[in-house]
This record gives sequence, C-alpha cells and structure tokens, in this order.
Amino acid sequence: MSFNYILREGFTGIRRAKLAATTSIFSLFVAILLLGILSRVSYNIYMQAMSIKDLIEIEVFLFDVDDQTTRGIAQTLENEESVLEVSYISKDSASAIMLRDFGPGAEELVELNFLPASFKLKVDTEAGSSQIESLVSRVQNLRGVDEVQYNASLLKIMESNLNMFSMAGGGIGLLILLTAVVLVYNTIRLTIYAKRELIRAMKLVGATNSFIRSPFIVEGILQGIIAGALAVVCVFFVFEFVIPVYVPEIGLLSWPFGRWYFLIGAMFGLSILMGWWGSRLAARKFIAETYISG
Amino acid sequence: MSDTTVIELSNVSLSYDARPILSNVNLKVRNGEFVYLIGPTGIGKSSILKLLYRDVVPDTGAVRVTEFPVNKISMKQVPMLRRRMGIVFQDFQLLDDRNVYDNVAFALQVTGEKPKFIKQRVLEVLGLVGLSHRRKNMPSDLSGGEQQRVVIARALANEPRILLADEPTGNLDPKATQDIMEILKQINNRGTAVLMVTHDYAIVKRYPFRTVRLIDGQIQDLAWKGDKLVPIKSPV
Repeated sequence: MSFNYILREGFTGIRRAKLAATTSIFSLFVAILLLGILSRVSYNIYMQAMSIKDLIEIEVFLFDVDDQTTRGIAQTLENEESVLEVSYISKDSASAIMLRDFGPGAEELVELNFLPASFKLKVDTEAGSSQIESLVSRVQNLRGVDEVQYNASLLKIMESNLNMFSMAGGGIGLLILLTAVVLVYNTIRLTIYAKRELIRAMKLVGATNSFIRSPFIVEGILQGIIAGALAVVCVFFVFEFVIPVYVPEIGLLSWPFGRWYFLIGAMFGLSILMGWWGSRLAARKFIAETYISG
Repeated sequence: MSDTTVIELSNVSLSYDARPILSNVNLKVRNGEFVYLIGPTGIGKSSILKLLYRDVVPDTGAVRVTEFPVNKISMKQVPMLRRRMGIVFQDFQLLDDRNVYDNVAFALQVTGEKPKFIKQRVLEVLGLVGLSHRRKNMPSDLSGGEQQRVVIARALANEPRILLADEPTGNLDPKATQDIMEILKQINNRGTAVLMVTHDYAIVKRYPFRTVRLIDGQIQDLAWKGDKLVPIKSPV
C-alpha cells in the first residue's frame, strides 16, 4: 500500500473539494467550540457551587460533660468518613467569641456562662444532603451531645440546583455532541459524495476498499485538526480577552482542573476523533454502496 | 491465440427487480480473442460486463474470469479480479483534477507499485496510445478521442489479460473511432483478450472479429453472410 499516495491524496483532498471540506470543518468547529464553552462555564459553575457548599458547617453542642466524654465524642467525629475537620470550642472560647461578636455591653451575659462547649465540623463538599443527614442523626445520638445544628435548607437548595444544572448541562452537552456527530457524519458524506467519480475510478482499477477509504480518513483527521485548532483559538480568545473586557462582572473564568491543557487537549482530541470516526463511517458506507457502473 | 478460456459464463441468469435480463446465457472467450458483443440498446449487454467485473452477481449459473470464480469470490478478492482486467466505458471517467500522466499513474499507485516502475509503465502505455506528448495536459484540454485513449492507457497500466470495452466509441467522431479501433486491435495483437460491447454495425463490419449477439436473454454466435450478420448454429 502506497502510504505516500494516501497521505498526499488526504492532504490534497481538502483543496480539491473546497466547499464540502469547508462545510465539514465548519460544522466540526462549531460543535467543538460549543462543547468547549459549555465545559468551561459548567466547570466554573460547579466550582462556585462547591465553594458555597464549603461554607456549610455542622455545630455539635454538648451537655456539661467531663473531659473524657468530650475526647470520646471528638474521636468519634474524627472517625466519620465525611468529616474533614473537627474543631473544639470550649465554654470559655464560646464566651470569648460572644464577647468579640457582640462587643461592649455583653459582659453581663457572658458572665452567666450559659454557652455550651461545642464542636465545629467541616464536611466533605462531595457529601450529599442525605449523607449529612445520616451523619447528623448519628452524632445526635452520641452520649453527651445536646443538639446538632447545620443549614439543612441551604444544603438542600444547593443540591437540588446543582443536580438540575448538572442534568441540564449534561443534556445540552449530549445534544450538542449528538447533533455534531450527525452533522459531521453527513457533511463528511457530502465531501465523499463530491468525490464519487474518484471512488468509481479507484474501484475500476482494482483498489481495495481499505485503500480507497484511507485518504478520506486522513482527510477527516486533518479536518478534525483544523477545526480543533480553530475552536481552541476561539475558546482562548473568548475567555481570556472578550469576557474579561466586555463582561467584567464575570471576570476570568478558570480553566477546568486549573490547567489550560486539560480542556484544550480534550477539545483537540475530540475534534480529531470525530473527524476520524465520521470520515471512516461515511467512507465505509459510501464506498460499499458505490458501483463502477454508476 | 491459445485455447485457454479467460472468460466463461455457464447457464447464467440475471434479473433486476424480478425483471429477467439474461436467461441461461453461455459464453466463452479465449485468451487473446477479440469478441464483439452486439444487440439492441437496453437488452443487457452491459449487464454481462457487470457480471464479469462483479458489479452484479447472477441469480443462477457460474461466471469465471481467468482463475476467478467471479460469483463465488469474497468481496476482498474483487479488487484482485479487477486488476486482471482493463475496463473502458463510453463516458471516459477520467479524473478532471489531475493531468493525463497522473490519471494513468493513479491505476498503478492504488495497487501499490513502486514510483520508478510507475513512471516507466505510464510512459510506456501512453506511448502505446500515442499520447506521450500530452502527458502534462489536463483531460479538459483533450478531444473526446484523446480522452478515450487515456482511459485505454489507464486500463492497460496493470497489464491486464482481458480488456472490457463498453461502447468505447459511442461518443466519438468517425476519425477518433478509427483511432480507438486501431489501438484496440494493436492491444489484441499483443495477446490481450478484448470483449467489446457495441451497437455500431459499421465497426463490426470494418474490423471483423468474432461477433456474438445478445437477444431475448440469450447469446448467439454470428457470422457475416454478404452484408448481413446471421446466426451460426452452435453457439458457445
């Protein structure tokens, strides 16, 4: 098999069927760009939600118990899987905090020494409301625990909004991906259809189907590279320059997982994958259906 | 011409959408033989060629081309079968985005030949059809007759044992027709079997070779009797 021929044909294929190739590249570009934008926006919304969730604390108020019981409760809390941090606030510390928060005039109240000792728990942001509810009910039943408080309603609202957003985002992403796949497949079919005479001629002189297919796959990958590169440049331009300048209230959205190359790599990879897959599928079907006699 | 059969159709029947085209057709073409296949338009002459290059498969019967049992081979073997034959159509089927040289070289590139051999062979076949001097021209720069000569050169590039020509002169003027027929004769003289579909009786008369007619789904061998082609009693 002549690899030079396949590569040359793949590269010149774009030049030979400019309109069809441009349509293919454009549809791939739009799909990858939309997915790139959706991923970056979704990631930032998710991180925002997580940082709000991070503010949720569980306060465990204790009866007047001895040190040994307090240590036992602390040990139990630290052993809980979803608890990341346990901090103890003694009765004295609680009074000091009250004095600091309420300012002068609160001394009389503080002297009453009515504030109980407590634990503040920081929980894993990945923990769901049901997991937290079950933790709370376990802690509530510990000997020496008077009351457990946390912002259950905020957590539930956050969680339901996040779930709704995840489903909507995922649905939109899936829809874009499906539309893109159908679009890319059909535009690549158009590209191949524009070269039906070439396919007929290749069949006529005894080229194997895999040989006929190869330049189209090279062309599909090349279209994927061009579309991916364009989409990456656009995402870079939109998030690094356009949004910070024209919509400053949004600011600079961070790259998913803190590094630019994760999203760029995924966009580029997906674009090449779709170009390869679309061209392979379309070429396979079209070549099988093409007869020498037309 | 040897007695080796390069094309053999045995009791072949073919129908399209339940419409019978061929019915128990038998035909043998020997190595180095030149055969005209004639008959009215739409009778199924081209279908016989399609059976040979495996664009269609028969409903019943057997088709053999050289060592290939055409109706039994797998799809993977079809390209190998087609490399044993050169195919020429009435519509030239040249690639208009590449020049004459590349149109012919293409037939060898797709079969994986080495560049040095390709260059040598392309110039050889272009010389055979008298178009070496036009190798850098695009198909659109050529006349119909010249384009058909390029197609013949491409068909010969892989040194086929059989040349199938479906109305190769159908779109040509008398001078170009004569040129093409001379080239086909020359190819046949070099040992290649030629099966040519035509309905041009003038050609058949001017360049006399074995002539078979497809009529009512069957093949008849014909011979000239005066100015008329008449059936021979025992068709093959």
